[in-house]
This record gives sequence, C-alpha cells and structure tokens, in this order.
Amino acid sequence: MKLEGTNQLHAPRESVYQALTDPQILARCIPGCERLERTADNAYAATIRAGVGAIKGIFNSSVRLENMRPPEHYRLVVEGKGPAGFLKGFGDFNLQAQGKETMVQYNGDIQVGGTIASVGQRMIQATAKMMAAQFFTALEAEAKSTDAPPKHGFFRTALRWFSGWLRRHL
Amino acid sequence: MIPAQFEYQAPQTLDDAVGLLARHGQDAKVLAGGHSLIPAMKLRLAQPQLLVDIGRIKELSYIREVGDRILIGAMTTHYEIESSTALKQSCPLLPECAAHIGDVQVRNKGTIGGSLAHSDPAGDWPATILALRAELVVLGPGGERVINADDFFIDLLTTALEPAEILREVRINRPAGKFGQSYQKVRHPASGFAVVGVAVSLGLAADGSCEAAGIGITGVDSKAYRASQVESALLGHPLDQQTIAGAASHACEGIDANSDLYASADYRKHLARVYTGRAIQAAVSKS
Amino acid sequence: MANKYVGKRVKRTEDPRLIRGLAHYVDDIRLLDTLHVAFVRSVYAHARINSIDFSEALKNSGVVAIYTGKDVQQTIGPVPCASALPGLKVPDYRVLATDKALFVGHPIAAVVASDRYSAQDAVNLISVDYEELPAIIDVEQAAKGGPVIHQNFGDNIAYKLTSGEGDIDAALASADRVIKQRMVHQRLAPIAMEPRGVLARYFPGEGELTVWSSTQIPHLLRTQLALMIGIPENKLRVITPEVGGGFGSKLNVYAEEALLGWIAMQLGKPVKWIEGRRENIQGTIHGRGQVGYIEVGCKNDGTVTGLRYTVFADLGAYHQLLTPAIPTLTGLMLSGAYKIPAIQINVTGCFTNKMATDAYRGAGRPEATYVVERAMDLVARELGLDATEVRRKNFPAAAEFPFHTATGLDYDSGDYEAALKKAKEIIDYEELRQEQKRARAEGRLLGIGVSTYVEICAVGPSKAMPAGGWESATVRIEPTGKVTVLTGASPHGQGQETSFAQIAADELGVDLNDVTVIHGDTGIVQYGIGTFGSRATAVGGTAVLIAIQKLKEKANKIACHLLQADAANVMFESGRFSLQTAKAAAAGVSEPVHPVGEAPAGALPEPQTNGKSSVTIQDVALAAHLAKELPPDTEPGLSATYFFEPKNFTFPFGTHIVAVEVDRETGEVKFLRYVAVDDCGKVINPMLVDGQVQGGIVQSIGQALYEEVVYDEQGQLLTGSLMDYALPKASQVPWMELDRTETPTPVNPLGVKGVGEAGTIGATPAIVGALVDALSPYGVKHLDMPVKPETLWRIINSQN
Repeated sequence: MKLEGTNQLHAPRESVYQALTDPQILARCIPGCERLERTADNAYAATIRAGVGAIKGIFNSSVRLENMRPPEHYRLVVEGKGPAGFLKGFGDFNLQAQGKETMVQYNGDIQVGGTIASVGQRMIQATAKMMAAQFFTALEAEAKSTDAPPKHGFFRTALRWFSGWLRRHL
Repeated sequence: MIPAQFEYQAPQTLDDAVGLLARHGQDAKVLAGGHSLIPAMKLRLAQPQLLVDIGRIKELSYIREVGDRILIGAMTTHYEIESSTALKQSCPLLPECAAHIGDVQVRNKGTIGGSLAHSDPAGDWPATILALRAELVVLGPGGERVINADDFFIDLLTTALEPAEILREVRINRPAGKFGQSYQKVRHPASGFAVVGVAVSLGLAADGSCEAAGIGITGVDSKAYRASQVESALLGHPLDQQTIAGAASHACEGIDANSDLYASADYRKHLARVYTGRAIQAAVSKS
Repeated sequence: MANKYVGKRVKRTEDPRLIRGLAHYVDDIRLLDTLHVAFVRSVYAHARINSIDFSEALKNSGVVAIYTGKDVQQTIGPVPCASALPGLKVPDYRVLATDKALFVGHPIAAVVASDRYSAQDAVNLISVDYEELPAIIDVEQAAKGGPVIHQNFGDNIAYKLTSGEGDIDAALASADRVIKQRMVHQRLAPIAMEPRGVLARYFPGEGELTVWSSTQIPHLLRTQLALMIGIPENKLRVITPEVGGGFGSKLNVYAEEALLGWIAMQLGKPVKWIEGRRENIQGTIHGRGQVGYIEVGCKNDGTVTGLRYTVFADLGAYHQLLTPAIPTLTGLMLSGAYKIPAIQINVTGCFTNKMATDAYRGAGRPEATYVVERAMDLVARELGLDATEVRRKNFPAAAEFPFHTATGLDYDSGDYEAALKKAKEIIDYEELRQEQKRARAEGRLLGIGVSTYVEICAVGPSKAMPAGGWESATVRIEPTGKVTVLTGASPHGQGQETSFAQIAADELGVDLNDVTVIHGDTGIVQYGIGTFGSRATAVGGTAVLIAIQKLKEKANKIACHLLQADAANVMFESGRFSLQTAKAAAAGVSEPVHPVGEAPAGALPEPQTNGKSSVTIQDVALAAHLAKELPPDTEPGLSATYFFEPKNFTFPFGTHIVAVEVDRETGEVKFLRYVAVDDCGKVINPMLVDGQVQGGIVQSIGQALYEEVVYDEQGQLLTGSLMDYALPKASQVPWMELDRTETPTPVNPLGVKGVGEAGTIGATPAIVGALVDALSPYGVKHLDMPVKPETLWRIINSQN
C-alpha cells in the first residue's frame, strides 16, 4: 500500500532532520515503540506495541536508516513481526526548508501480512494514516522541544489529543 | 478462532466496573454485547487480560422520555431500539438506524453504548448520534461527565473516553415541531458494514424551509463525521430538489476518504454525495 | 401403474434430524480421551523455513506432541494427484512443509494437545524463522517466467495441452468476422457451511484405524490414506458422518486427513482437528482461476464457424487430487449447445504461490459455458442480432442426437429449442425487450441476459475417469421386511436418502418409511466412488435400480415357488406377488386374498403361503431367510449387489433468462426477473431438483457479482474471512421462476441426467450478459467478474 503526504512542521529543517535520525527521538515518535536498541550503524532492534482501540499487537521489529543526505533526505525502513501479523515498510523523507518551518514530504510503501492483512484490510489504510499523523505530531514536538523529553505515558495522551485536534481542524 | 486466555468479572454496579477498569488499566476491557470485541478476541487481535462484563448491571438498559429529552441506557440493544414504538413516534431515526445494523443475531445482542464506544469507522450509530447532536454521559473514576457527540469521535476506533471511563447513557433532544428523518446505507456485500451510511435529521419551519439540520456520515472516513457544510447549505432554504442536490454535493468536503478492496475513495465519496441527497429527500418526504 | 413416490415432491427423510440438531457431523462425534490438533500455517506466500522453535510451546502443560515436516517426510506419502496428463509436472507435496512454504496457509507444524484451547495457545508460541522469497502470483506472469516455485522443474509451467477437432485456423480464416475477447474467471472459495474436519482413532491391538472425515469420497479416501500412511487398506475404515456441504471442495484427499490418521497411530489416542473458517479459505481448495482469450469466427448470418480458447490456468503451488484436470474439462464443453465445426483449446497450467485450485461446483464446465455464452453474445452484438436468435441458429436439432461435438463428445439427448422457447414464454421475452426499449428512452439501464447451456455430468465412463466412474449398490430385504439400500454414493446435502428410497419403495411396493439408505461408511458399504460431478442419482441411483431388479428376479422365483405356480401365472404389483386366475389374467389385475396388513408384533410371522394365492414381498424375504422352502439352486437370503458402469456421460441443458436494472447514479444492481428452465432428464423428486437449481443459481450470483479470493502481489490472502469474502445472502437473491423440460437420457434406465451443478453452470453468463446488455448503450461488450457497482459506475460516469 502506498503512503504519501506532506506535513508542515513548525520547526527549522536541521532540528527536524536531527529528530528524524536520532534513534532515541525516533523511539518516541514511532507509535507504540517501547524499546530501541542499536544493533549496527544506523540499525536498531525495537519492540513496537502497535494498535488501535482494542486491537493491539506486539511486533518485534528492526528499524534502519538509509540513504542519509542531511538535512534534506533519508529513508526509514521498518520491519516488524508478531502474532497478529507482520509489516514491512519504508518511507522516503524529503525535507524542504521554509524559513523557520519545514515541509516534510514523505512517500513510502507498506506491506502488511498475516492475520491483520487477511481480516483487517478495510482498516489498514486508516490505521496507517493515523500512525503517520501520530508520528509527525510527535516529531514536531520533539523538533521544537528544548526541554528534557517528557515521560512516555503523558506523551501518549498528548499525542492522541494532538492528532485528534489536527484531524478536526485540517 | 479461539481467544487467548482471559479473566472474567461481572460486576453488579457501574461503580464497581469503573473500579475494575481503574485498577487494571490497559489489561482490562469492557464487555457489552460482545459482537465487536469477541470476534477480535477470537482472532487474537485483541487480548485483554480481564473482561469486565457490564451486562449484569441493572438499570443500564432503558429507553425513557423525560421532558423534551430521550434517554437511552448504554446497554440497550439495537433490537430494543429498533422495535420501540415510542421511538418510532418521537424520533424514528433511532429505530431506523438500528434496523440497519448487522443482522438479527447481532441486533439481539449488540448495544448502542458498546457500538459507540467501539467507534467502528463503518458503524451506524456514530452517524446517527452526530446527526442528532446527542450527548454522551460517561462515568469514570473522577465522577460523571457529559461529552457532546461532536467531541466524542476522535479517530479510527478512538473516542474521547478516558482509560477507565464507561459510557452509561445517550441523551437526545426530542425533535420538536415539524421534522423529518432518514437513515440510508450502502451495505458491504460481505460484512454488512456501511460502505456509506448517512443519517439525516431535519427540522422544518412552518413554510417548509429548513430550520435545523443534522447530517452524520459513516463509512467514508476513519470515523463518522457531521457534514456541516451540507447542513449550512440547507439551513434557511426551501427543501427543493435543487437545494438538496447542491447541499449534498458538499458531503465529503475536506474528507480524506477511505479506500479498500471493495470501494475506492472516489467511489465512496460519490456514494456519500448521492446517498446524502437521497437521505435528505427521504427525510423531507417523511416530515 | 402410476408411481407412488417417484416424480413426487416427497419431503426429505434427512431433514427431521438436521432441523432438530440431532445429526452428527465430525465435530459431534465425541470419543473419550480425544486429543486436539491445531496447525501452524505459513504467513508468507513463498519463504524458506530456516528453523522452527517450539521450545516455548512445549512448556504449555496441555501439549502432548508437536510434529513438523521432518517428522513425516519419510513416513507419510505425498498428497496424491490423480490426474495423468502427458508431460504433467507433479511436485512432491508432503503433508507438512519441509524446507519451504509455498502458499499462505501451507501447514508447517501440527500441535497435539489435551484440549482445543491449549493447542491454539501452543500454536501462538511457536516461532518460525522464515526467509521471505519473492512470490509469483499473476498466472500470466507465471507462464512467462517469474520466480520459480519448484526449482527442479525450471519454470512455473505444470503442463501444456492442446485439444479439439476441426481445422480451427481455416475456420477462423474463412469466417466473415473474428471476435476476440479476454475473459477472467476469478478464484472462488467453495465455503461449505461446515468447514473440514477429521477425527482419527487407532486400536493398536486390532491394528485398526478409523478415520471420520467430512468428505465426498469415503472409499477413494480410504484407498489413498492407506497408501499414504502405510496401513493395509482392509485395516482402515473411513466414515463420513453428516457433511455440511461439499461443492467439490471435499472431493479430495487432504494433508490433514493423512496426518491425523498417522498421529492417531503414533499416540494411540483419538485425535481431532476441526477447520476454522480462516483456515478453510486458506487451506481448502479454490475453484476456477482461469485467464483466457477467445477467438470466435462467424458468418454474417450468425453461424459460428470456429472457436479457439487459449487459457492460463492458475493451479496454485501444489496439485490436489484433480487440480490439473479441471481446465481440460473446460476444453470438453467448449461446443456448448451449438454445432461448432472447429474447436481448439490451448491450456497452460501454471504454478503460483497460492492454495491449489480444484473441483468446485461445475469444475471447469462453468468456465466453458461462460466463455461460449459470452462468445454468442459478442457475435450477436457484432452482427446486430438478437441474443436468442443467434443461439437458436447454431443449435443442433433434436433429431441430430446423439450429437458429436468437435471436442470429442457425444451428447446423449437434448431439445435445446424447447427449453429456450419455454423460458422465453415464461419471461415474455418480446414484451421484455419492448420494456427495455421504453426504459432506455427514459434513460434507465435495463439489461437482459440469456444463457442456453449444456453441461456434462453423471461422471462417467471409467475409461475417462482417473479412479473409476461406476457406482455400486447393494439392496437387501431383511427378515422382517425392511429394505436396506447401501449406496457407494456419498450424498452431502443432495437428498439421496430420500430419492433412492423413493425408487426402492416404488420398485418393491413397500412403504417409503420401510426403506433405509446407508452411505458413507467403508466398514458397512461396498466399495463406491462417491458423490461429485452430479453423478449420485444418474449413476448411483441406476445401480440401486438394477440391484433391485436383480432382487426382484430372485424374489419372483421364490414367490412362484411358494405359490407353486409358473412365472407366467404370477404378477407382482404394489409389493405383492399374486396368482393369476384365468379371469384375473384376462382382466390384467391381481387378486389378493389376504388384506395387506402389518405383521403381528412379537415372533416372526410364518409366511402365508400354504394354499394361498398371493404372497407379499415381506413374506418372500422371510422365506428366503428361513430357507425352509426355497426353489432348487437358490441361495438363501434376499440381497443383490450391482456395480453400474455408465456407457456415457449425460448432458443436462437449459435456458436461463435474467433481467436486471443498473442504478445510473451508483452502479448498484437490482434483479428484475430470473427465469430458469432446466432439463435434467427424468425427475425423481422435483423438490430436490428445484433445490439444486436454486442453490446453483445462488452460487452463480456469487461468482457474477460478489465473490473473489484475492491475493495481493506478495501473495497475502486479503479476503481471509467472510467479512471480506462476500457470499450472497438471501436478501441479495432474486425470486427464481423455475420450470423444466424433461428429455430422458438413454444412458441409464432411470432416464436421469443429473442436476447438481447445472444451476451454477448456466446462470453466471446469463447474469453477466444482462449487465453487459444493460450497459451496451455505453459501448460495453464485456465485463469481468465479479462485476462490482463501482466498475459499472465508472463506465457510466466516464461518459456523462
């Protein structure tokens, strides 16, 4: 499934790029990411507890950063496997500076397999959109933030409110 | 089709239910009619460790008219609403919507509260609740609060319910004066879910022009939404074919429609526009 | 004398137990100490299996054993394919995957546990290390190349086959027009209401294995399982309990059947597996799956000169029992109901990373009928002729039967014009076309579709069948006069317990309730072939009939002996052998002396013979067993067995006419009328025939409008549940106006052709044809299935 979009983030391009490629920040942006450990250069093992509503699954995942051309481009590759199914995806991110703001254009492909693909295909697109929105909301907050990163639980709630706000007002 | 192991509790009061949810957090899940949750559990896509069955709690299932309000308990089944002679008089959109849900077996068990809390992007109740500008009464550890329908549906399968909150009642203002309502649905041929579902509730002025309009649309986006541009295009205008057609054309303004194996986003939006027009027309003819 | 039962709408003897929930399906059979089996199935369409870690699963206290491909590769034989096409490549198909998984749903490991819940929990604790490989999904791509699934074959082509008679190139060259069209027959899932299930029990002392399976072929299954598991065939008993639908999907030998039998022998405890619906869609055979190109040549007057069909058959990753054979059945029926002098089919059977296709209601013939009927519509459209006229023009006349086709068949009997005429009358075709004109003037999209089909069934002459095409019957009359019919057919919803009882009751002059029909147990019933290909009544019923005739011959001999009369003076009627007095003989009636009544309860009654002038068949049965007074050279007992070998297939036919309306705004489809006139030869029970036609039509509606097994490009099964795989519901099905013509077949003495698949074969092209007709104002000539509202909307919308 193709996934593409453009997000305008209220943060300068260098901060956004830095946030995008910093594993600790990425771990806070990828929805449901509970653990991110370096396994090699620009490669990480992660545990992602992804889901919507009551539907939740754990995915043992790997995250890789490729084709890095700071501060304008890179590719994020994620693969996850779990009892609910598996997913494989990549996203190419292109960042364009617009004064103190950044336009992030992404396009990517996600393959979903296993149970979620065979019984949930009607919701896959909406789920992907929602997670992309959560990702960018978190990313923007991270890129703007100069304070110590907030705790997980609070952040998740803020995320939900944020993305809901975005959805209703965009 | 066998769920993972789980614990089961059937509290006798709503406070006890809320207490269980507060204590167990993410590990607990409310069981109402079960016809969304249990299939997910059988597929092991949902694996709550504790099911809190609120089906034994007395006084969660009722349909009352108090003054100019209709109060429906969260555990009222779709069938009870579908077959309510009182509602067929006072707010026929409710029984009409209920009649479109699933099939007979689902309607016998499924509840309006469960359906709203689950917020399936193609569920029928959310569209109707939005069209009626209902209020949702919710009980949590901090007490009770009232949420407007407009603020209730946040995203895919996500509502404004906080972790330990349970929806207890739906409140609707009884339509007054001259009014017309209709629910129209394009059923997915396999699941019966709404490819597109449109709920319309219109208030008409003495001269037949539109005095109030509530249009809720489901199946198109990640959640049901109120088609406010359609409503504005009707308000104050005579409800003739031209007005209706013009208004219905706004049904998907600003909406990023869902695309799936059965229908593309473009076709969905087209169906939404057509059926919004048909639902408004039907509402007018029933007024 | 008129039949009391045959030809009447007799209520089914099966139904009371079914309706009251008293029937026994596989899952209803409860044996003490049964262990439960659950499967780990591949989540990838094509992957190397590097390792399987079940250490976590073994910690579950309910787990008794876990088996993987390594455990069974050498000990259980491969899943069999009975098709022997020249040059056919047959992959080695083991009951559990070994080094590679080749389709989503491919069984990789079997967990045996004390209860169903532990088994499923353990499955979720098993970790398979897959190395994903590129999958080949599109059948035309598979024909050209793509990742090779079976390395030892070098490519993905399982076979190529060309057949047909006549000079097709000349026929097309000499035609006034040649019309070409690509047609897709999408993959379908049979979706029997009862998914598959197996229960196996082994008695080590006796060395006896019993396997209960929801199957259509108990005896054939027994033979194959004996070979696969390595147990003597006469130590294996296969029992088919009540089966909740098959539609061809249970005409097969599955990995799970052999594996459960083998596991039962290993563990000495009964083991049971009941398929879930998702497993059913993944791991039970699919139907259809053809992408084809037709070329049809015709003269300007509508005469068809030749038809060529080049087809790519999507076989799946492995062959199940008849997988490669199905497209060849398509080739056989490409002549349809027409005199087409030159016909050719070119089949390329391809491997893909999906579940195997195999026989599904119609098995290759719906594809043929669809292609031919769509071709006739294209010819009609091209020449501006009426759809029914073009067809009629190409019919063979009734007098031309048996009619030899350019596909090498001899159609037994038929009167295609009569069926067409009747259907047109019922639907008032001329008026319907007028109504269409009026509707079109108003801008409404009304369409009329026609299908004049022929199909081949009552399979069949053994020379043409992989494992025998005969059918067996034993009929006996017990000492107390009850009639027992043992049939090798294996009904799974068709109602032969009733229809065979009707035949027996009429032939023997007994009460219907005194006849019991037994089937589906290899320990009780003599070897039989089973139920598929619409053969149970035509072939199995004939075996019953002839066995009864043999029985009656013997009964007659005994009766004559009891009455001390010559055969010429004894007449059998309504269950009684009566001495003919001269007066009675002249009048042609029998003269009973005793009133026909019930035997007294208690001791067996003495047969009423001494000095009397008639005996009942029950008297004869008792006498045969007591054996005190038997004619010389007569064996005691009253039982006859017959194995009936049919000399030909039979060819039911009919006409379906459908009227639909398409909503201009949304493309949604509404049925206005559905008329079906079907000819299945003589009819034993009209209610059963109606049911078969209705069911077949519903499955056609499913194929035309709703159903499709969808694999994405990676081979993920997207229609994995009934939330997405759209079976037609009652509310989506039109009222069906059914009628019949009756053209008996000379192939069997019953005159029965068979009707189980006819509805599914005849209906689909009529429905699609109606939709094409509805959109013909937009220049539409063909639509691929399933025809969805969005497709229609896009066509309508693109031209507004």
